[in-house]
Amino acid sequence: MGTAVSIDIRDDVPSSALDDVLRWLHHVDATFSTYSPESPISRLGTGAATLEEMTDEVVGVLALCEQLSDDTGGAFSAFVVPAPNGSRLDPSGVVKGWSIERAAELLEQHGAKNFCINAGGDVAIRGQACPGEAWRIGIRHPDIADKFAAVLAASGRLAVATSATYERGAHIIDPTTGAPTADMASVTIVGPDLTYADAYATAVFVMGVDGLDWLAEHHPEYAGFVITRDETAVSTPNFADVRVS
Amino acid sequence: MVSGGQITEAVALQTPSADRKSVSINARATPTLATEVLSAQSAEIDTVSGATYTSKSYRASLQSAIDLAKATAQSGTKS
Repeated sequence: MGTAVSIDIRDDVPSSALDDVLRWLHHVDATFSTYSPESPISRLGTGAATLEEMTDEVVGVLALCEQLSDDTGGAFSAFVVPAPNGSRLDPSGVVKGWSIERAAELLEQHGAKNFCINAGGDVAIRGQACPGEAWRIGIRHPDIADKFAAVLAASGRLAVATSATYERGAHIIDPTTGAPTADMASVTIVGPDLTYADAYATAVFVMGVDGLDWLAEHHPEYAGFVITRDETAVSTPNFADVRVS
Repeated sequence: MVSGGQITEAVALQTPSADRKSVSINARATPTLATEVLSAQSAEIDTVSGATYTSKSYRASLQSAIDLAKATAQSGTKS
């Protein structure tokens, strides 16, 4: 995935739990990497392989991309800019969240109940940080790398995904125009599943502030927090459920 | 509710999700200025959500500093 994954487990679990998660993440990278020309997704995107040759896992992820593209009116799409492999097929906007949710399941199968996984700025939490203490998640301020624009506290199951351009430049493309989006500095989506939170963050980034209305109407179990380029912060009302400062 | 899990410091959710029109009207909270920088210190934070960093830029990130602090604290407890 070309990013760093931080795994913070607050229970005693066998080291095989982490081995399983690392094996899984390496498998995901080998299968879905758009950087490696030999990965199945690269071979499919460049026409070196057909859909029929893909595993059920790859077909399932592509179906999820299609579902999310329909759901967001095309604001999320796996077929936009040329990926590093030269093809226009890039499902990484779904793969990261999806693979982290699966990693969380693997940890749970090994008995972990309280943990936090951070994959390059996208977060999945389970349980509590300590007995009686919620996990505290800072949302990075778009202009100041070591400050927070908001702080959340939550226990149980929660996903937090942020889309912004301050790390890698204007890489979020509006699929309907093919041009980079300009109005948003940072979009954070909070909700039960990182697969969807991540895709909705990309979609709302493309939709602009109006995307919060779309989110509230279609996915009320998710909350949105947006900072525009003119430094205005806007959120859905249910964002207050998790925000503590 | 935002998640299936327990949410701390929750307030009553007033969004009437059954009525789509009402949801749309109530969708946004009043805009506020984000220029006000929070004083929360990274020591009070377990993890950071932000734009996707590369493995290279991770080393300079706040998340990396938090990970390092936690790893140091843990090895300190054990020794």
